[in-house]
Amino acid sequence: MSRRALLRSDAWQPLLWLALLLTAALGLGELDGLFRLLEPDSRTVIYGRAAFIDLLGSHLLLVALAACVSSLVGVGAAIMVTRRWGEDFLPLVSQVASIGQTIPPVAVLALAVPALGFGNGPTLFALILYGLLPILRNSLAGLRSIDPAVLEAARGMGMAPLQVLCQVELPLALNVILAGIRTSLTINIATAAIGSTIGASTLGDPVISGLVTGNTAFILQGAILIGLLAVAVDSLFEQLQRRAPGTGQAK
Amino acid sequence: MSLPLRSNRVIPLLALLALALLWCLDFVSIQPNRIAPGSGLGLLAALGPVWALLLTGLLLACGLLALWSPRPTYGPILALVWLLLLQLPASLAWSIERHIGADLPYARVGIGAGCWSLLFLLGLLLIELQQRLGLSRVWLLGSAVVLALLLGWLAGQGWLEPLALLREYQSRRSQFAAALSSHLALVGAAVGASLLFGGAIALLLQRYPRAHKGSIGLLSFIQTIPSLALFGLLIAPLSYLSAQFPALQQLNIRGIGWAPALLALIAYSLLPIVRNTCVALQEVEAGVIESARGMGMSPAQVFLQVRLPLAMPLIIEGVRVTSIQAIGLTAVAALIGAGGFGTFIFQGLGQSAMDLIILGALPIIVLALLADGLFSLLGEGFSSGARR
Amino acid sequence: MIELRNVSKLFGQTRAVDAISLSVQTGELCVLIGTSGCGKSTTLRMINRLIAHSAGSIRIDGRDIEQIDPQQLRRGIGYAIQNTGLFPHWTVARNIAVVPRLLGWPAARIRRRVEELLHLLDLAPAEFAAKYPSQLSGGQAQRVGVARALAGDPDILLMDEPFGALDPITRESLQNELLRIQAQLRKTIVFVTHDMDEALKLANRIVVMDKGRIVQQDSPQALLAKPANAFVENLLGGQERGLKQAGLLRVATLMQVLTTAAAPLAGPRIKATDNLRQALSLMLWHRCSSLPVVDEQGRQVGVLRLDALLDRPR
Repeated sequence: MSRRALLRSDAWQPLLWLALLLTAALGLGELDGLFRLLEPDSRTVIYGRAAFIDLLGSHLLLVALAACVSSLVGVGAAIMVTRRWGEDFLPLVSQVASIGQTIPPVAVLALAVPALGFGNGPTLFALILYGLLPILRNSLAGLRSIDPAVLEAARGMGMAPLQVLCQVELPLALNVILAGIRTSLTINIATAAIGSTIGASTLGDPVISGLVTGNTAFILQGAILIGLLAVAVDSLFEQLQRRAPGTGQAK
Repeated sequence: MSLPLRSNRVIPLLALLALALLWCLDFVSIQPNRIAPGSGLGLLAALGPVWALLLTGLLLACGLLALWSPRPTYGPILALVWLLLLQLPASLAWSIERHIGADLPYARVGIGAGCWSLLFLLGLLLIELQQRLGLSRVWLLGSAVVLALLLGWLAGQGWLEPLALLREYQSRRSQFAAALSSHLALVGAAVGASLLFGGAIALLLQRYPRAHKGSIGLLSFIQTIPSLALFGLLIAPLSYLSAQFPALQQLNIRGIGWAPALLALIAYSLLPIVRNTCVALQEVEAGVIESARGMGMSPAQVFLQVRLPLAMPLIIEGVRVTSIQAIGLTAVAALIGAGGFGTFIFQGLGQSAMDLIILGALPIIVLALLADGLFSLLGEGFSSGARR
Repeated sequence: MIELRNVSKLFGQTRAVDAISLSVQTGELCVLIGTSGCGKSTTLRMINRLIAHSAGSIRIDGRDIEQIDPQQLRRGIGYAIQNTGLFPHWTVARNIAVVPRLLGWPAARIRRRVEELLHLLDLAPAEFAAKYPSQLSGGQAQRVGVARALAGDPDILLMDEPFGALDPITRESLQNELLRIQAQLRKTIVFVTHDMDEALKLANRIVVMDKGRIVQQDSPQALLAKPANAFVENLLGGQERGLKQAGLLRVATLMQVLTTAAAPLAGPRIKATDNLRQALSLMLWHRCSSLPVVDEQGRQVGVLRLDALLDRPR
């Protein structure tokens, strides 16, 4: 199959990547001979301080927790500032969401240490804080791009505010919100990997440890797993986004 | 946007929050030397009653001005916020003056959480005012520059010398300069190269539209790969090449260092540039091109005199996104020995030296904001030119 | 019946609607007309409480609308707007079913109702029910909009320039459709437009508004005959008033009836159900001063003379 056909392809793609990821997480440890070729002089060529599958698990847990919290907060805040009673805060919130994304995620991660210390907690905090911005920004964009006539009609038909929100606004904004969550996840998977340097246990561990000890095999193992994780999650969301309620035309 | 004709609730809330944090958190902390543990000083202890009450009064005045007038007059509030912002360096100098005598030659003053919170909330207030007054984002940048200049001047006078951040800087002056130049060099090289390649790719895609979807797909695929992974994946092949060809070693191309960093940075930078350039070139209104042709312009003239100038704002937007992204990624590249401000961050993390971490992180944020402001300004200039 | 008594609306310092009183009888099609910003849309929206009025009282069938929960009120009033406001993520059928669902009708009844309305609006259910709004033409979307407004079988219908964004031909066919539906259903309709031809064609009563006040309210004929002031005259099209008035009258009202049935004939002729404006146009075109009048089957039933047009009483 050609590369383009591969990129165009459909629902099986996330499954393929997930299968590859799991195989790699479980099987990389067995490829001693292969990695020996890379680092013939090293005593160990397979990262041994923690099982890859455990690192994958805690990496995923960190990112998923952060995504849940920042989705709730981000979408919630976007809903609040687009209501009549919260519109005072709209200019500030939307501007902060846009300026905040200018700040590199590494800087946020680094500054979490003086503020909160080392470990999983501060990493999680930084991930939530930074992951919030794309979700907030997209939710705002999604909610505000809805045709005012549609909202007027919804109210004119006699829908209660909550019905307008749940039946009209959120479904219509869903695709854009999902795109925001996807961006947030992509950034956070990368940032969580760097979180190893502030004491979080993630798939970044083998890479950092390899960089410190000069062991290319470790680096490669970590890098492969991180890359596969990011691609798998991204393609999963691509599928999800395609299944979001469209406007008929998209299908 | 229509702004309601009632009092503003955002400013009082921010002012109140600033007040609460200011009084609850430490304003500064003092360490007798680098190793000794620091002790925090609250607002009152750090600045004395007069200054503390003055600060409180100014913040209250901001809130009340916004709350009480039926139609908030943002001008005076802006003046107050500016005053609050500019007193920040002075208040630091004042607390140093009060607490650090000649008996403590190695004392270090850390900026406390209260001070940082005040800075952050003042920033939010400025953003709020900028939005309400309809000012450009560049204007925010201007305020930051004025603040930085004031800080620089006070530091130059020696009044801020015991500031821990400054002490870290003093002991690493040459390293700081080296980090700045290598950071800028990497970002500049990556953005420059990807502008060149990206522009070429975009032009090729104009000619061969069938390759469009695949190319963008490939570039987005690269974009999803986390930086640490991409850096890591480049190390093995590069060190193999470097081992095979000694000529590469002469150029300092190795598994680690600037070579894998630059390669990865370019790979990441291509997507925003190619995508924006393609969109920009395609979205020039067909009627404009048609009339340019109709007036007898040659294809080259149409491109250079019509298409490109009209596409410029979007292309610059691509460069803006790319530069900000590259500034952040270069910080990560310090992990593979590419230098830059990331070095300070990771050194600081290794030694648990918080001020060193801040010394690395702050300039990265400043650089990113500067790039954002600079390219926004440039983009605005071009788009107003295009509108004329 | 809808009654507005001394109703005002203030937006900040500006009076969008200034102490207007108006009552719309049950089964009447009342058109609010005026230039943009005259307060006609605001008035319409105050009736279903999309905008709260600042002063005065609005009653529907004797009940003050402020006593009714706004959502309940709106579910009982059909509402159609210019840009249709169709929900883009729902099919045509689901769009029409909005109010019945809000009212909690059983599924089978909703299905029947949707089908009935699609037939009423001349949209084949098999073809249109499952389509999305983005797949419809402007005219079809507006038909769906009207069907949706009728779905809950409301007594009152509020329409805010519903045909304003359509091309002239589609607009005319939808106007005819509305007249047909109104003849069948006899709803109380308040219709906002800025197009005088549309108003003259549809209305039982025209309410002319300017700067938040009602300038004149009358039947189309009376309005044409006696415009209250220069503003109304201008709105009626100044010099074209004569033609507009002719457009309101049927040929049958002025023709000379033939006592003996004549044979079918060729050449220029006009139907008894056409209006005098069309008759005048035909006379101008064929340069003749009289036209044979025919019935639906093409049999001559009378003669229309130019003199009759000129001599008709004011």
